[in-house]
Amino acid sequence: MDAQHEPVSTSAITRRRFLAASAATAGSVGLATLAETSTSAAASATLRVGWTTPPDVMNPFTFATTASNEILWLIYDTLLEYDIDLNPEPGLATRQSISADGKTFTYSLQPKARWHDGRPVTAADVQYTFEVTAKHNLGQAAWALADYASSQVINDHTIVIRYKAPQAFDPAMLIAIVPQHIFGPMSPSKILSYNNPHPIGSGPFMFNKWVTGQYVQVNRNPHWWGQAPKASSIIWNQYDNSDVMVQALVAGQLDILTEVPPVLFDSLTGKSNVKPVEMESFSFHHIGFNVSRNPKSKGNRLLLDPTIRRALAYSLDREQLVALALAGRGIPASVQLPPSFGAWQEKIPADQQFNNNPGKARRLLDAAGYKVGSGGVRTDRHGAPLSFRLIAIQTTDEDVLAGQIFVKAAEAVGIKLTLDTLDNTTLGNVVYNAAAPNWDIFIWGWDSASPDPDYLLSVDLTSQIGGNNDVFYSNPTYDRIYAQQAVQMNLARRRTLVHELQKIFYDDAAYCIMWYQSKLQAYRTDTWKGWRPTRGGMVYNFTRDNYLSVKPQ
Amino acid sequence: MRGSYWVRKLASLAATLYATVSFNFLLFHVLPGNPVQLLARSGHYDAAARRQLVALFELNHSLLDQYVIYLNNTLHGNLGFSYVYREPVTTVLGSAIGNTLLLVGTATFITVVVGVWLGVVAASRANSLTDATVSVTSLSLWSMPDFFTGMILIFVCGVWIHVLPISGIESSGLASGGLAHVLDIARHLVLPATTLVLVNAAEFSLITRNSLVDTLVEDYVLTARAKGVSRRAIVWRHALRNALLPIVTATALYVGMVLGGAIQVETVFSWPGMGLLIYNAVEQRDYPVLEASFLIFAIAVIVTNFASDVLYRLLDPRVRRT
Repeated sequence: MDAQHEPVSTSAITRRRFLAASAATAGSVGLATLAETSTSAAASATLRVGWTTPPDVMNPFTFATTASNEILWLIYDTLLEYDIDLNPEPGLATRQSISADGKTFTYSLQPKARWHDGRPVTAADVQYTFEVTAKHNLGQAAWALADYASSQVINDHTIVIRYKAPQAFDPAMLIAIVPQHIFGPMSPSKILSYNNPHPIGSGPFMFNKWVTGQYVQVNRNPHWWGQAPKASSIIWNQYDNSDVMVQALVAGQLDILTEVPPVLFDSLTGKSNVKPVEMESFSFHHIGFNVSRNPKSKGNRLLLDPTIRRALAYSLDREQLVALALAGRGIPASVQLPPSFGAWQEKIPADQQFNNNPGKARRLLDAAGYKVGSGGVRTDRHGAPLSFRLIAIQTTDEDVLAGQIFVKAAEAVGIKLTLDTLDNTTLGNVVYNAAAPNWDIFIWGWDSASPDPDYLLSVDLTSQIGGNNDVFYSNPTYDRIYAQQAVQMNLARRRTLVHELQKIFYDDAAYCIMWYQSKLQAYRTDTWKGWRPTRGGMVYNFTRDNYLSVKPQ
Repeated sequence: MRGSYWVRKLASLAATLYATVSFNFLLFHVLPGNPVQLLARSGHYDAAARRQLVALFELNHSLLDQYVIYLNNTLHGNLGFSYVYREPVTTVLGSAIGNTLLLVGTATFITVVVGVWLGVVAASRANSLTDATVSVTSLSLWSMPDFFTGMILIFVCGVWIHVLPISGIESSGLASGGLAHVLDIARHLVLPATTLVLVNAAEFSLITRNSLVDTLVEDYVLTARAKGVSRRAIVWRHALRNALLPIVTATALYVGMVLGGAIQVETVFSWPGMGLLIYNAVEQRDYPVLEASFLIFAIAVIVTNFASDVLYRLLDPRVRRT
């Protein structure tokens, strides 16, 4: 279950963070019965969550939205889970051992685990789930099983899973275990087209109902193997409009919001019984340069020169970007991994960062022979002007603002940028046209699919051209070191490799990463207690612990 | 003579429908980008998984073949498979159509009744202060975009005085069925329906007023008055019936138009009908849902126009003779 982080995606079908101006555009439906008086949530023990991102499908093999993930991951269990600090903890199973070569994993299942229809969860269900996912590439988590070799059921509650290569990241964190007696009889294409109207899992909550475009309700599973959650039901209410949603929280009709747009966040400070919380996220926003070497690329080839890319990166002041475009709700960025990754993040010393040094940018361009021509725009030796197209998502206000700042900054070093805005899906289609990309520079962002660095580092692999690789970056050294870290079981050695990757990618400057935005959420203090802020968010995060541990007041 | 009229009428109806269906298909298939690209890049889908998706959505055929498949499916009532919801489009549309009909049906009924009544009031006191007030107020309301009127209502009723639910169709967590559920939906219906009525009643009040003012100077009205028929009876029984023709036409056009016009109102009030569905489908490039929705809108417009033609002939003998 990995489509985890996509807080305010409007398209809601890609992990790319189209941090749209808020969810104002995320079409969907609300339920702000503002008129109704605040019913005591505690009395009914119903936890009411507000969001603007509609779920798509309740099938763990086909869902594509973060919202579906949030729900499904309380209905289904994974073998291992993330605790509140995002460290692995036992889930449906306890990991008994990993072989010395890092290829064989043994798990023992919770003996009390039962499906919501009463049947026991067995090792055969686990085997079925891993087999069908790996063999037929089903679902977003299938990538984690690329090295899957085989599995062996030792007894009803013990299973051994073998991989062809060592697994630095345990795929058991990602694969939602499904009941074989429900999915087993289906063909792969049937599974892909199955909407799973009433999901049966083994998790702490049981599916109750989904009123399309309105709300989803799950009820506590009285027979769950773990410690029973205090909430008897959870309801996720959909809103079409963030303002209405925030009003509903203030009025007491909601208990927590998955995302608060920065412009509304400040207005919550000082409101009675409402607590806005700013946390680190697993996300960044960046400026991407088209570095495609595809002969059919219609991107400006001058951008293949790293000097120009670095000069553009030098022209920008990250502090200013955060202050102006993000209203201060984030931190200036450098490498791909945000600080939420802790020790995994490579620290680039301030004096070595391509940041806020227009003088250095000019010197680099002068030295490379890009002379200032007519109108203050530099040209190359053949007289071609350093003039590029810049595109951003029109509804993502902070990106558009960053684009405007970037145009000015580039102009100051003799590079002309022409800013254009597109709707998010169109921009996605333009950028991802790997066969013949016809663009120069774009702005958008990424959310990590897991708190492991693997996902964000994998985006710009050569093998992801045609997939996630949004700038068509290709560097064999990067690819090689990525492959090494993925199979490195020694934590310290893997960390060194991960740092090296970030440094290489930073120096190549195919991305100019602008900021790591904050995760902004808010909850009521008079309905539920025990919310624990953590990096990535109290809810809408990799851990489901807050849902399980909060208590009615 | 009569038979050939119907043949001509039905043939043109069929031709219009065919052209609409084909245009619909082309419109969405020549747009750049495809759903598999959108879905596939959200995960680490490999080539085999992509091919699986392409086959699932029947995008592995040539454009011409897809067109033939589409025509064939449409004829058999199969409107395709939603890329986003992974359900047949007919299922996705089912509840949305019901919700839209509830909103639009209620609103249309009230709009026509209120509009005609206001028109009659204005016409029977033509050129008085009442007439001027009705006309100016309706014109002002009519000239406001419906989403704007909706937002004003949200602000007044939801934020200021907290009297009515401002979004959605029902409260979460209520048991389905039962009187409480019905009342809950009715409460949610008030504001969006009121918005549609406020904005659109003007159309009917103005048409009624003008048509009635013309009728009230006819000779037979004078005759009736001479016979001592009450003013009320003259207006409601004699004149209004004759002034009704343009109102019938307007109602037919209105129904076709308001289906599309409800997009804005549904979005503002998060009413889960066709409008909101289309809005989301555009965002998510769910082409089969878009194709089917536009097809339904087109059919609604074509059929209501056809019905108004027919009704017109029934109501007015003069049309039949021409």
